[in-house]
Amino acid sequence: MRLGMKVRLFASVVAASAAISVMSGTAAMAQNCSVWLVESSRFMKVPFGAFMPDRAFVPGSTNPNNNIPTVDLPANYGVIKCGTDVILYDTGWKQQDYLKMTGSDHWASGPDQLKVLGFSPGDVTKIVIGHGHWDHAGQIMDYPNAVLYVQKQELAAIEWALSYPEKHIRAINSDPGGCNRTPACGYMPLTMQEIYGKVLNGKAVVVDGKMEIAPGVIIHPAFRAHTAGSQLLEVPTSVGKLMFGSDAYSSYEGIRDWMVANIQQTDSVQQFLAYEQCYKVTGGYENCVSAHEPLAYTDKYPLTKNSWVALNGGRMAEIALAPGEKSRKP
Amino acid sequence: MIGVPGFRPVLLISTLVVVAAAAAAIWQYELRPTTTQQAVAATPQRAEPRALSPEEESYAAALWEIQRQVTVSAVAMSYAGIAYEIDNHDVHVLEQKIEPVAKFFVEAEPRVRSLTVPPSLSKVHDEYLEAVVLYRKASDEMLAFTKDGERQHLVDAQGMGVAASEDLLRAGEVLWPGQYKPH
Repeated sequence: MRLGMKVRLFASVVAASAAISVMSGTAAMAQNCSVWLVESSRFMKVPFGAFMPDRAFVPGSTNPNNNIPTVDLPANYGVIKCGTDVILYDTGWKQQDYLKMTGSDHWASGPDQLKVLGFSPGDVTKIVIGHGHWDHAGQIMDYPNAVLYVQKQELAAIEWALSYPEKHIRAINSDPGGCNRTPACGYMPLTMQEIYGKVLNGKAVVVDGKMEIAPGVIIHPAFRAHTAGSQLLEVPTSVGKLMFGSDAYSSYEGIRDWMVANIQQTDSVQQFLAYEQCYKVTGGYENCVSAHEPLAYTDKYPLTKNSWVALNGGRMAEIALAPGEKSRKP
Repeated sequence: MIGVPGFRPVLLISTLVVVAAAAAAIWQYELRPTTTQQAVAATPQRAEPRALSPEEESYAAALWEIQRQVTVSAVAMSYAGIAYEIDNHDVHVLEQKIEPVAKFFVEAEPRVRSLTVPPSLSKVHDEYLEAVVLYRKASDEMLAFTKDGERQHLVDAQGMGVAASEDLLRAGEVLWPGQYKPH
């Protein structure tokens, strides 16, 4: 065999090996996950304008953006199964005798909801909180094996707010009977104790920016898109990449129509940049997973339409199934 | 030559298939997720808050002045513990952060005790006081850790902090219902 031919043969073998390697690598990266959306509870009759300023109700208006007085807002979290990993994106909140949240309805406990989907609390391996507010980061202690992923920026901002000299910014509850939109307002002591419990037990990863937590499952920072340390979660599925956004993606319609939603410690430009991140990663707005979209679990939010009513009237949706994964829909 | 099966074997196989299908359907039914109707019975009923009397309102307002500092101090205590774990494990920094918190809870306890409590809120008052005492003990435990380095102090403190935070919410549910809005 001539030298040139040997070189070409060697190059072909190397190229073929590289191709196989890349393909197998790609296969690992593209491992599709199964995904369900679960309604922790529903906040009833919230004035639409309080949720989305551009949708404020105008009596007598025929403009579809301004003719709905109130909306019922689900508080959603994601259940994501990737191989042997069971990942929660947000954890909802825990209704107790001491926290009834009058004005909310259809609450069910996270562990009970997981059982409906065929999981036990001990199966949960990772919890990614989109942000640390009480209605998204509750019940953390109920998942003893789960490692918590929280942005360093989220924690640092709480300390900043706690030590700020102006009391209206420093305060957690600034007025009797009300928790206003001060920077530390949504972080109730119990939520912080639960986060501390995870950190203390070595079950927390403090993320600083972007991080891949499983093949193809990627945390993206979205600082100030809702809170100082908001984070998104990219998930590969059979219906394409999904992007979970917690309250950075409070409204699916908001992402679609480029309207801000659920303004708390939010920079509206940063929220739009978070929207753009979903468009870039998933190729549009349809696969952006919203935390409080009033249209969730209906045909008007197609990603979530494969839904059913589960515990206490709360809803669930089966968004995607990995190959071989059985449906949990009754 | 491959023969055509007779009527009886076909009937037998068909019967077996039907029985197997029925068994599978029953099995599937038994293993189905819990239905809404079943779950509703197991879910606690939601109760509406009751309006406070003027006497109770005045107690709630007086306690609120303490509560707003209690919540900030409680979160500061948790954050100090978090910062210790994720930053540099510097006990002196932890001590500096916990000392003012501990001092606040020492002073808060007699402030709570000194309030005039309507008889109808005595249970709520006791729960609140218990929360403040637990927070004080938790901060003491954290300070003890800065002295001897025994991590069990931190574990105990975190457990007390959880219990105190629950008590805080329990009292708040009566005195300031809806204090935490959807976020």
